[in-house]
Formats: sequence, C-alpha cells, structure tokens
Amino acid sequence: MKLEIKNITKNFGGMQALNNVELTIDKSEIIGLIGPNGAGKTTLTNVIDGVYKPSEGEVWLNDERIDHLPPYKIARRGLGRTFQVTRAFRRMTVMENMMVPAMAINPGAKRQNVINKAQGILEFLTFEHLANEYGRGLSGGQQKLLELARLLMLDPDFVILDEPFAGVHPTLQETIYGYIDKVRQEGKAIILISHDMDSIFTLSERLVVLDFGAIIADGNPQNVKQDPVVIKAYLGEDEEEDY
Amino acid sequence: MDYITGQFLVNLLMNGILIGLIYGLMALGLTLIFSVLGIVSFAHGEFYMIGGYVVYYLLQAFGNLEPMIAILIAGAVTFVIGVIFELLFLQPMGKGDIERPGEYAILLTFGLAFFLQHVMIGIVGPFPTKVDRFYDFAEIDWGWLRMKAATVWFFDMPISSSRLIATGVAVVLTALMIWFMSKTWTGRGLQAVSQDRQAASVVGINPSHMNTLAFGLGTMLAGMSGAALVTVFAWVPWVGMPASSKSFIIIVLGGMGSMPGALLGGLVLGIVESFGAGLYPDPSKALAYKDAFGLLVFALVLLVKPTGFFGRKL
Amino acid sequence: MKRIPIQGVLLVLLLIFAFAFPRIMQGQPYWLYVALQSFFWAMMAASWALLAGYAGQFSFAHIAFMGIASYTSGILGRDLGWSPISGIILGTLMAGLVGVLVGYLCLRLRRTYLALFTIAFSEIVRLIINAEHEFTGGPMGLYMEPLLETTSYVPTYYIMLVALIVSLAIMYAIANSRLGLFLRSIREDEEAAAAMGVHVVRYKILAFVITSMIAGIAGALDHHIIGFIAPNELMIPRMSLVIAMAVIGGTESLISASLGAIFIHFAMEWLQKIPVPASWMPSLRENTATLQQFGLSLGEGYLQTNAWRMVLFGLMLMLTLRFWRNGLIQPLLEKIGRQGVAEETVAKRKFSQEENEIEGTEA
Ligand SMILES: Nc1ncnc2c1ncn2[C@@H]1O[C@H](COP(=O)(O)OP(=O)(O)O)[C@@H](O)[C@H]1O
Ligand SMILES: [Mg+2]
Repeated sequence: MKLEIKNITKNFGGMQALNNVELTIDKSEIIGLIGPNGAGKTTLTNVIDGVYKPSEGEVWLNDERIDHLPPYKIARRGLGRTFQVTRAFRRMTVMENMMVPAMAINPGAKRQNVINKAQGILEFLTFEHLANEYGRGLSGGQQKLLELARLLMLDPDFVILDEPFAGVHPTLQETIYGYIDKVRQEGKAIILISHDMDSIFTLSERLVVLDFGAIIADGNPQNVKQDPVVIKAYLGEDEEEDY
Repeated sequence: MDYITGQFLVNLLMNGILIGLIYGLMALGLTLIFSVLGIVSFAHGEFYMIGGYVVYYLLQAFGNLEPMIAILIAGAVTFVIGVIFELLFLQPMGKGDIERPGEYAILLTFGLAFFLQHVMIGIVGPFPTKVDRFYDFAEIDWGWLRMKAATVWFFDMPISSSRLIATGVAVVLTALMIWFMSKTWTGRGLQAVSQDRQAASVVGINPSHMNTLAFGLGTMLAGMSGAALVTVFAWVPWVGMPASSKSFIIIVLGGMGSMPGALLGGLVLGIVESFGAGLYPDPSKALAYKDAFGLLVFALVLLVKPTGFFGRKL
Repeated sequence: MKRIPIQGVLLVLLLIFAFAFPRIMQGQPYWLYVALQSFFWAMMAASWALLAGYAGQFSFAHIAFMGIASYTSGILGRDLGWSPISGIILGTLMAGLVGVLVGYLCLRLRRTYLALFTIAFSEIVRLIINAEHEFTGGPMGLYMEPLLETTSYVPTYYIMLVALIVSLAIMYAIANSRLGLFLRSIREDEEAAAAMGVHVVRYKILAFVITSMIAGIAGALDHHIIGFIAPNELMIPRMSLVIAMAVIGGTESLISASLGAIFIHFAMEWLQKIPVPASWMPSLRENTATLQQFGLSLGEGYLQTNAWRMVLFGLMLMLTLRFWRNGLIQPLLEKIGRQGVAEETVAKRKFSQEENEIEGTEA
C-alpha cells in the first residue's frame, strides 16, 4: 500500500491554499495532520479524495495516478474520508446509510450479507439500537459515528478523518478511539486531522504540520513537538479549541 | 433580405431598448426577492399579470381615473398580496419550521403561480382584454420628430406611443427604486440583509421583517411593470408565464441578486429578442421563435456560467 | 399468530376493483374514459415522484418528455405510416435519448438552477413544436392514429391500466433496489455519496432516462387513444398539475403519488359539473348573473365550476407543501400499514386479558 502526494499546489482564485505539499504514506500507521485554522488540511483531504483537482502536482495511490479520477473511483480504489461537517444521508436510516458504500463497491453483494456485516459494525460502535433511526434523527456525535460506520462498510486501505472529535461527547470519543485502533490493527493507514492535541499525541505515530498550505514539519511526534518552527507557527499559540 | 437597412437595424435596437427598460424593472423585483430571501419566485409573472388586470378594472370602473394613479394602486395591490403570501407561507422557512426549504420555495411559488393564474381565469375568463393607451399624444411635425395620437416617428422610425409611455413609467419607477435602495434607511437595511443576515440583525435590523418587505416590494415591481404594459399587449390570465421566463432569463444573465445586473440583463434581453425576431430568416416563424431566443441564451448561460455577469453564488 | 399485511390486502382489493371497474361502470363510458385518463396522470405523477422524490432532481421538463414521445410517434405515423405500436416504442426511446441529454446537461445544476434550466428546456421544446408547423402541425395540433379500431373504452382502459401497473412495478423494483438506494443517497448528498463510491453521474442520468421514458410511453399511449395532441398540452400549468398530484399524494412513495393523481383527476372531472339539488335551482337561477361574474355557470341540475376547480388544487398544493410535507395519501397509507400491527397487538392483549380473567387472578 502506498499513497504519494507529489508537489501538490492548490489555488482558489488568487489564494494559494496548498503550496508544494509532499507526503508519502507507505505503511500502516496513524498520521496526525495538524495546523492552524485555514492551513489547508481540509483542502488537502479534498484534493486526495478527488473533490478538487490540484492546480499542480500529482496524487498516486498504489502506483496509479488518481488526481484526475472522480471521487467515486478513488473511493473504490481504497481511499475513504469523513467530512469535517458531518454528511449523513438524512432521510435514510442508519442501516440504509451503511448499505450505500457496501453496495457501491460490490455490485454483486447479497443484501443479507451486507446487513449482517452492518449489524456487526453497529455493535462494535455501540450503535445497534439506532439501526432503523433516520439520519436526521441522530445527534451530532451520532452522525459522526455513522460516518465511521459507513467508512467501515467501505473498508478502504487509507482513511482520512477530518476533525472526528470536534463537538463529540467524551464517551463517543472513546468509541472513536476504538474505531481508530481497530482500523490500525487491520493494517490500514489513517490520516487524523484534529485540533485536539491530547488525542493527536496519544494516537499519532507520525505527525505532519501544515501552515499556510505548506508542510513545515513531518516526523516523530515528540521531535515535531520540539521543533521551533512548529512551536512558533502553531503549538506556541494557545491550545484552545477552534470550535 | 433587402429590408435589412441601417435604419431598420436602428429601429430594432430602439425597440429592444424600450422594452428592455421595462423588462429591467420587472426583473429588479425578482432579483430583490432573491437577494434578500435567497429564493426565486416562480410566480413573479403572475404578479405582473395581476398588476395589469388591476389597471384594467380600475379604468373600467372609473372611466376618468388618472392612469398613473391606477398604476400606483396596482402596485399597492400586488404589494399587499405579496406581503400576505410571504407572511403565510415563506415566514415559516426563516423560522426553520420547513424541512428542505430549497425545494419548498420552488414548489410553493410554482403552486402560487398556478393558483393565481386560475383565480384570474375564474374571474375574467379565458378571453383577452385590451386597455386603451393611457394618453393621446399631441400632433407635432418637426421633421425629425413627428407625433400623432398613437404613434411617434423619431427620424421616420415609428414607435407606438403606448410603448413609449410604458417605458417612461418604467424608467421613473426604476429611478425611484434605485433611490430607495441606496438613499433610504430601509433600502440600506434591505441591502445589508442581502449581504449578511447575521451582521444585519446585530445592528438592529429584523431580517424577517426585511424578508416580508423585500417580497412585497418585489411583487409590487412586477405588478407595476404589468400595469405599465397593459396597454401594449393583449392581456390574458397566462400573460405572466412568458413574463416569468423573461425575468428568470434576465436575473440569470445579470447574475442572481445583482440590481445593476438586472437592469443590464433587461436591456440585453430586449435587444436580443428584438434582433432575433427582426432578423430571423423565416419571418413567418420569427414571432413564434421570439421567446425561444431568450430561452436558448438563458439555457446556455445556465450551463456555461450560472453566475451571470455580476453574479454571486446561489 | 401471523401478521396480516393490511397494505397487501388493500393492494389486492384495489387491483380487483380496478379490473372490475369497466363492469361496474357499464353504460357509463364517460367515467371509464376519465379513469383511463387518470392512469395517464398516475404514470406521470409516479415517474416524477421517482425523479424528484427519490432522486432529488426537481425537474420541470417531465411534461416535455411526454410531448416528445407523443409527437415522435404521431409524426412517424403521419409521414412514414408507422403503426401506433412501433411509433410508441420509438417515441419512448426518443424520450429516453433526450433524457440522457437533459440528464447530462443537468449534472452540475442544483435546485433553483435545475428548475430554471428544465423550465427553459420545456418551453423551448414547446415553442419549437409551435413554430415548426409544417412538421408538427403547429398550434393547430397533430392528429394521431387511434390505438385501436374501436369506439369502446373498455380495451383502452385495460391497456392503460396494465401500462400503469407495469410501470409502477418497474419503478417500485427500481426504488427498492441498489439503484433506488443510490438515488436516495444522491438526493441527500451528492458529494458524500461519491465519497462512498457511488457513481453519481451514471445514476443521475439513469434517473432522468428511466423517468423520461415512462412519461414518454404514458404520453404516447394516451395520445394515440385520444387521437390528437397540441402544443398547449406541454404548457407549464400542466406540469404544475403533475406536481400537484405527486405532492398531494406524496413524493416519496410511488403508489401514493399515483393514487394522488387518480384521485385528483376524478375530483377534477366531478367538480367540473357539481350536481345541485333541484330545490336549490330556482334561487341559483335568480343569481345567474352574479354567478357568471364569478366565473361559475349554471346548467340543468349542475353548477359548472370552470377554472375554480384548478384554483382549489393550486391551493391544496400550497397547503400540502406548507403543512403536510409527506403529502396526504402517503401518511394515510403508512398509518393503515401500522394499523395492521397495532390491531394485532390490541387483539393479543385482549386475548391475554381474557386469559387472566378466566384464571381469575385479577381482583
Ligand atoms: N472552495 C474554496 N474556495 C475558495 N477558498 C477556499 C475553498 N476551500 C478552502 N478555501 C480556503 O483555503 C484555505 C484553507 O482552508 P481549509 O483547507 O478548509 O483549512 P483547514 O481545514 O486547515 O482549516 C482557507 O483560507 C479557505 O478559506
Ligand atoms: Mg478544515
């Protein structure tokens, strides 16, 4: 497994949101991606996911160039993401929400198998009592869980989680930790975008810092933490929550 | 095609501008509604239609009523209908009582158009009515400018006097509207709400009042354009449908929510229609296709650049 | 105890009634004709419900596809001597083909822009048909070869009924398949659906194609039965009627949308001439002038409502949107469905209560 982000630049009109971003992930690990608000973290997610075409540079997934592919193909090739602002299918039940990715990646999937798999995942996420609840009936935190549940159904090799802890109740946070653990155990790679420094330093095996669209540090979290450039750009500021 | 002379072209241009100025007024109403409420009213043309009928009935009931007063009353009537509709059906949207407000507004105003059209068919029947021109012109002959009761010749190019009067009314109303929006406190309040609802409410403007006002003013402008044009066209209860289409075309051309865009778009549409109909190779079909030219331009703009000349995002 | 699927029972009863209708209405061909027309509207409303309610594409071009298929078939019959059957098939394919085009063009357009574009498309189609009179018959309309060589409405009634049932069955199957699942996910959130691997482009276009073809076949069949089509049948108010039917029935249920259409079409016919008791006639006759002023007219024993019935449906559409977002029929059907369950539990409880009483454990 390999995800290569090569020299990615992304401009919005005159604004440069990403500047020459280089990042390679070639093994199962948890990568914390941090940076001040507006640094370009979500934009990078969108470029990798195919929502935005990069202005310059290339994205390669398992030795295939994917930056010109539409998002649904990228999803089918094994890259999944959550959205910073949750996007549950509101007028569909939790179960139906979860059936979408399973059916989309596997046209021949048997309905009953899909449902069984979904049930297992719901139990793991302590969520099974809500299987027949509509997306719009869930709390904000539950909608985040639903996105994770859908991701587990999609079962990608690379997962990008955009602010999974923002506005989430502590008990749910535990469940999300459990999810990240499980995915890591399964030998997959996770890019974790978060403002929650405790979580980042607890979970990350590697830390990447974005600032003004450029990567200013990439490496062992403890080393990065000490990096004066990083401290100046980010960690030195108040560690308050942005949301 | 020897009828295509320089004068013919200038005449087409002039007619296009005259009608385009009225279109502009009509579209100004729609763009005002969009900029403040964020919705497109599919019943805009029906208010135009009602404005025309109000004048028709007033002049029938009170033969010697000053036509300009009739136009003002038509504006008042359409304003009131618009306000009532907004309060009953659109206010709940702002309060978050309505699921999926985007679809709601589309279907609801679509239903309103259907409703108003059939109310008028019920009242006046399906037959066209015609209103005589508001004023007769004095007879003049200055060479470059000749006038008779119903027609004006400007450098030998004929223009119907009803059309000229309608355009005059539209220009005055447009000027008043621009003054209102830029110089009065209320007008600026509307602008503020259209730019940033939250900021506006912080400085003490009540956005939901502004919604009602904007919708009423928007329908009033449609009504008054109809009132001004009722002498130019035969009036039927579905006269509003092409008027709606034209307003859509204009605000998309000009950019949804942009007032200068609406005025410019009105001119462009008037001219495109005038030239399209005048220059179409098969004159027997030219009139039938007149409305199609604008729609075609419209469809293309929607596909290529949905934000129009001065657009902002939907 | 087995659960009684009340909805299933109702459906069977409804089908029996529909198939027996020509016998019930023997000697009243007018109502048979009304019924077969209502099936046309039911196909229109249900397919629009699939497109708008399921796939979230609030298109106003539906009536144009109906017209495209009808005109294609009519012109093929007139100029090339095609039989109605082959004309209807080609007309339906034509509607599907144009559906691909419109679906493709609409890919990037959402909500208001989609509505505006489809209205423009629909109007352009109508204006072209109006203008190209050598080809289409223009505003005077186009004669279409009758579907059957009979004046009885019984066979055509069954043809439309079967067409409705088959198209509903197809759409129902689609709605409950993967495709239906994907369409709903696209309706809810295109980007999220794509991130979950859903081929949004393909399914959106497919939704346009399928529903356009159903509108097309409904139109072509119906106009071969009527024997005539004119461009004003493509006018926006007819689209409003389809929408009113689907919304009042319920846009998220195909059967509700089609029942809404059938109900409204019958109501419209009935309201055209409201029967008036003989005792009222004299006083009504005295006020004929007043009635006429309000667009009503008086006949022998009935009151003609003319445009006012449309006013009623326009109002109903607005009120339904405002207060009953799921329509009027859909919640009713859901309630009936639940009623089945509820009754069963009620019955059970009664049963156990009786047991209790027999055992005498209650004081
Ligand atoms: N679609 C867009 N159009 C224009 N600017 C954008 C767009 N998306 C993001 N940006 C800008 O790019 C910058 C990076 O944003 P984002 O990636 O959301 O930051 P982060 O997720 O790190 O907080 C911001 O300045 C933002 O305003
Ligand atoms: Mg972000």
